Amino acid sequence: MSRRYDAIVVGAGHNGLICAAYLARAGRKVLVVERRHQVGGATTTEELYPGFKFSCCSYVVSLLRPWIIRDLDLPRHGYEVLPLEQTFTPFPDGRHLLRDADPERSKRAIAKFSPRDSEVYKQFGAKMAELGRLVKPMIDGPAPDPASRSPFELLRLARFARHLRGQGEEWLIGNVKMMTMSAVDFLSEWFECEELIAPMAVSGIIGTFLGVRSPGTAYVLLHHYMGEIDGSFRAWGLPKGGTGTVAEAIARAARELGVEIRLSAPVARVASRSGRATGVVLEDGEEIAARAVVSGVDPHRTFLRLVGEENLDPEFVRQVKRFKMRGSSGKVNLALDALPEFACLPGPGPHLRGDITIAPSIDYLERAYDDAKYGAFSEKPFMDIVIPSVTDPTVAPPGKHTMSIFVQYAPYNLKEGAADWPNQREAFGDAVVDTLAEYMPGLKSRILYRQVLTPWDLEQIYGLTEGNIFHGELSLEQLAFLRPVAGWSRYATPIEDLWMCASGTHPGGGIMGAPGALCARTMLGRRAV
Amino acid sequence: MGAGGDAIVIGAGQNGLAAAARLAAAGWQVLVLERRDEVGGLAGASEFHPGYRVPGVLHDEGRVEPRLVAALGLERHGLAFRAAPPVFLAEADGRGILLDRDPEKAAGEIGGYSGRDADSYARYRAFLAKLRPLVEDLTTTPPPPLSPTTAGHFWEIARKGLRLWRLGRRDTLELLRVAPMCVADFLNEWFETPLVVAGLAAPAVIASWAGPWSAGTNTNLLLGEAAPGRWLDGGPVALVAALERAARGGGATIRTGAEVARIRVEGNRATGVTLASGETLDATAVIATCDPRRAMLELIAPGTLPIRIEREFRRIRMRGTAAKVHLALSGPLELAARPGELFEHIRIGGGHVDDLERAFDAVKYRQFSAVPHLEIVVPTVADPTLAPPGHHVVSIIVSYAPHDVAGGWTEVRHAALLEAVLATVERHAPDLRRRLVASELLTPADLAARFALTGGQLHHGEPALDQMLVLRPAPSAARYATSVGGLFLGGSGSHGGGGVNCAAGVLAAQAALS
Repeated sequence: MSRRYDAIVVGAGHNGLICAAYLARAGRKVLVVERRHQVGGATTTEELYPGFKFSCCSYVVSLLRPWIIRDLDLPRHGYEVLPLEQTFTPFPDGRHLLRDADPERSKRAIAKFSPRDSEVYKQFGAKMAELGRLVKPMIDGPAPDPASRSPFELLRLARFARHLRGQGEEWLIGNVKMMTMSAVDFLSEWFECEELIAPMAVSGIIGTFLGVRSPGTAYVLLHHYMGEIDGSFRAWGLPKGGTGTVAEAIARAARELGVEIRLSAPVARVASRSGRATGVVLEDGEEIAARAVVSGVDPHRTFLRLVGEENLDPEFVRQVKRFKMRGSSGKVNLALDALPEFACLPGPGPHLRGDITIAPSIDYLERAYDDAKYGAFSEKPFMDIVIPSVTDPTVAPPGKHTMSIFVQYAPYNLKEGAADWPNQREAFGDAVVDTLAEYMPGLKSRILYRQVLTPWDLEQIYGLTEGNIFHGELSLEQLAFLRPVAGWSRYATPIEDLWMCASGTHPGGGIMGAPGALCARTMLGRRAV
Repeated sequence: MGAGGDAIVIGAGQNGLAAAARLAAAGWQVLVLERRDEVGGLAGASEFHPGYRVPGVLHDEGRVEPRLVAALGLERHGLAFRAAPPVFLAEADGRGILLDRDPEKAAGEIGGYSGRDADSYARYRAFLAKLRPLVEDLTTTPPPPLSPTTAGHFWEIARKGLRLWRLGRRDTLELLRVAPMCVADFLNEWFETPLVVAGLAAPAVIASWAGPWSAGTNTNLLLGEAAPGRWLDGGPVALVAALERAARGGGATIRTGAEVARIRVEGNRATGVTLASGETLDATAVIATCDPRRAMLELIAPGTLPIRIEREFRRIRMRGTAAKVHLALSGPLELAARPGELFEHIRIGGGHVDDLERAFDAVKYRQFSAVPHLEIVVPTVADPTLAPPGHHVVSIIVSYAPHDVAGGWTEVRHAALLEAVLATVERHAPDLRRRLVASELLTPADLAARFALTGGQLHHGEPALDQMLVLRPAPSAARYATSVGGLFLGGSGSHGGGGVNCAAGVLAAQAALS
């Protein structure tokens, strides 16, 4: 059998495609094989109901690295992001809080709740942007290895330590606190009013199996201030035409660079000979050979299914197994025949153009978490909602709307077992719509179509193990040099010529693209392809 | 104006007495001022009913580090150590597990539930043992300086780095992985028996504002379990007695019933204290071993400290979550699961780590746990003289009870919490109420009032990752010296503190001496 390819990438999610594109850009011949009928993985847009295009899973672009956008010339391939600048929080008592990109307007809005907090708000943003300077070098390069014995690595660590010292003691303490505190505790050091703290704290729990009062959730707050660091105001936004267009733009860029993409080609296993990956075997039996194989799927799927336990060291298998997936969120997508209205702020307006957060109080969020801890979906869940059709009319027929509802918590492991999700799916959907209808009284009568994605569905449809949207929890013990397994954070695996390029590796999840690009860079640097 | 001498120590608890003993040993003239009428603070004895005493509000957890206190000559002053008793993990409808730290002794007990866990326990202990040198060093030396400036500072950091290096690459990575974890995840990786997981998890969250599923709680477990020490013969009060003798022997003066109202600061230097009686005392150094918020925000006149420093101290989280129950019994605390056996150390929880988490859930909403977790010591098993012949005293740390319970600690709520505790014990010891002579409940609010303890927080600051090491009690006072010249913080709220170990007092004294 001839070696037609330098590399085969398994999975055409955004990271797989980015990795493929970078390899092809360096002159390598690359094939991407995808199980589904379309590219994108969880970065997908699907027309579930005639005329309505849904970003079924990921619904906003978060932190897609600017250098990747430049390198792959994505705007030319159709990448366009519309700003998402408002955050609207309705409260059950009829009040609301609308924050947006204009600091003065936000200040006035917050002042209605707490004059003191309105004064601090801007200062807080500046402080976060300053603290975020730590994150940038962390997510734009491979993770430092603090237990390394290699002189080269130690030198790198020493340089990193000097860099940290150079930032000053206060900055360092701030970052240590961010890494270890809970979002609520951290925010409470700045703000007094719960109506502000609760909706701000939720960014710390998205996609995690943690509550807003769980230590370790403060760190993710930084991500919201990264936009300023990247020097681009559109780091957070809605991709025009739906999230799937991001994947399509990357796919177009990759194809132009010579990448071949085969859809509806599910991989059964990674072919290997004497501890070395030699290609992939498709489910229909076809074997495709390549110099290297890159896995764009999550670590559990990669090692426990595609490679197989029997081909791995038992200790490594144990470490992979204890890498926690534990999906905690679901998604409800609605097709609406008219714009929904909030009881507390009727009619259309800027508050429908941004992010809508159902997080009325800290206790509300904690109770939602408590339900999930003991194996049930939240009766009153936290919801992060966008109505993309308001900003981007191309995704729905004129006058009609799509609504994307990210819901937390929905634990993969129900107390009745994950396989019971199909029985609880509609009840979960009802809990979401019922809760939302308390804020939007006319909502139910406007629903034309409803899609409910439970973590179990995310696993079935998109291949996300346990429905974890980040390919593994973003908790301290699963980040940086520990992601996904200590000693294997640099995209290589114990199987020679098998690499990992997806969210389960450093720096992790979201439509960031860094793992894919860093994996390609590492492979090329080590002359693996 | 009176003379306080070289140093005034505020508080005659374990840390205050240890600081005094250490300073006196170095030849300083020391005056210890104690607000209450007796010494010991949370480690002191308490006669909660005529003829029935507990040897300390806090429990001995085997945390006194012999090498640290060696310089104080405590053994000369009567302090003796003894083997830590095994802890009995009770289960409502099971045999329970008598857990010894020695895996061989525990093997049979754990094996009754799971043979696999009995093996795991030996490996688990071996893993913890590897961390011992690291943890011992960490808890008996000041935290490393955050901004090293002198050669000595760099040397301190290098020494700690070297210890980590000696652990080896594999274990270093493992340590870095497991330290920030939640204790439930960590223990679930090792054990399959819910009772073992719950039983080992509990000490890591007691008196903290965290449940077993809260990230970072595993650091508490590692700090507590990696360097287990022996228990004190006679309980915490025996440590207090030896420290008092050491301090007095070195020439220190101890005044009880002398409440400090103000730490006097002139030109950013502590010059002495003013007592509640109005009396003023001068000293070159002041070592405060009360909690850090009390020391810096209440005892120092408002407006004295820069806002930045005040804010650091105001931010220290000190939410008490543990209540204390003392029971006087006319006979032994007999458990239905093990008739005829007497245990000194008993842990009663629901038997599953989720029960412990449910107990914690309550405090989030300012309620106390309907079914609390109970950490029980029966001191009369080792020392029968604490009660009339044949009688026993039972000392219980109750988790969780919030200091700021919704609606306040009214008599009704007080009674309801005590009843919840009694009912929980009774489920395991059916004879309890027949033998009950007297009981006392100290809610966090009671503890706050009795011991001048902000929030009723037993550790003078919640044990949490962001309140440890260089961040404990606050960055500006991490190495005991504060931003105020001559003022040192040496209570449990400083590094080394938390539990009966008097380390913070010794380390603060050493900082003052240097």
